[in-house]
Amino acid sequence: MSSDGRDNALFYEEHRHLSGKIWLRPLLAVIPARNEAATVGEVVRGVIDTLGCDVLVVSDESCDDTSVNARAAGATVVELPLNLGAWGATQAGLRYAQRNRYDRVITLDADGQHRPETLPLLLMELDGSDADVVIGTYAQRLSSAKRFAWWYFRLLTGLPVQDFTSGLRVYNRRAVRTLASREASLLDYQDMGVLMLLHGKGFRLREVQTVMSPRRVGHSRVFASWLVVARYMLHTTVLCFARVSVRGRIRQDAPASKAAA
Amino acid sequence: MTVLIVSAVIGFALAGAILYLVRRDHLHGSYAIWWLAVAAVTLLLALFPHIIDWLGSTLGIAYPPVLAIVIGMAFTLIRMLQMDIDRSRQERALRRLTQRLAILDQELSVARDAIVAANDGAAGTRALKPSTEPLRETDR
Repeated sequence: MSSDGRDNALFYEEHRHLSGKIWLRPLLAVIPARNEAATVGEVVRGVIDTLGCDVLVVSDESCDDTSVNARAAGATVVELPLNLGAWGATQAGLRYAQRNRYDRVITLDADGQHRPETLPLLLMELDGSDADVVIGTYAQRLSSAKRFAWWYFRLLTGLPVQDFTSGLRVYNRRAVRTLASREASLLDYQDMGVLMLLHGKGFRLREVQTVMSPRRVGHSRVFASWLVVARYMLHTTVLCFARVSVRGRIRQDAPASKAAA
Repeated sequence: MTVLIVSAVIGFALAGAILYLVRRDHLHGSYAIWWLAVAAVTLLLALFPHIIDWLGSTLGIAYPPVLAIVIGMAFTLIRMLQMDIDRSRQERALRRLTQRLAILDQELSVARDAIVAANDGAAGTRALKPSTEPLRETDR
């Protein structure tokens, strides 16, 4: 077991595409979870039954049986030793997907509000259109807080997206590579910053209307109370401000991507 | 005259404390340089407090001591800004390290299981038997 041998193996593994044989795993489902032991098992089983793909649960420093239940349901589990928040956990999953060469990644919440039967719709949309990212939205069930926040953000960013906070998304390989990069590591929420980064780089976003179950356990991390909403909106406004040059590029790209869509 | 003594005592105490900390290696690299510069300026002003009076009157400031306070505050703010920039950089590095650690931890457990399975299959051969105890307690 010389280290040379292993390095060579690693080299061929990493550069396999140079020989023209790109081998990709088709799909990974990433489920960020923080203390979701009650629902995570059912979500994992639902995804496996519907899509039959590999499932990765990223446990965000959970202190309950999230990891145990997820493994029992057939998922691979990555356990973060520090609490990184929803986006940090999702990005860990995207980095895992990149490292293990998955072609597409589907992300969904661990609380069971995304119904497994809607997942194939998103994948069909990604494969059937020129979109790089497909977002599953549920526009009907909007609280007034969300409605106001989204109106404000659309005004601020010009992003052509209805639902900014949906955790139900499919990313293609290019989008995963961008979101796994250092550039995306300082984002705190998975929504605005991620979408602005993608849009700024010319990725095409698409939305698909889906049906969602009401949360059975737990509640939204973002829209918990008005105070949290206020903090979140301030945070995101600053983020928009920081990405003001990117916004310029979005404006230029917007007509082209609309024409393409 | 007492003013001179007081300023000299404060200046020497501050410069001495900084020099002590730098010498004891409590401050790392560029921080040490910054604090040595602060110590030097403090010593200079302690020994020659009239520099401030001279500077103030040269710049046309009616009450020169306020100049020292303003300059001090400006440098404090700059320093705080630099600290936050540094902290953001560290936060990014910490998040990426955490993710990488978690992914490698998962790969390691898969590899460990594979070795154990291989060893169990090759019963009778004296092969490397890694510990199957999870390392989690010491990791955290």
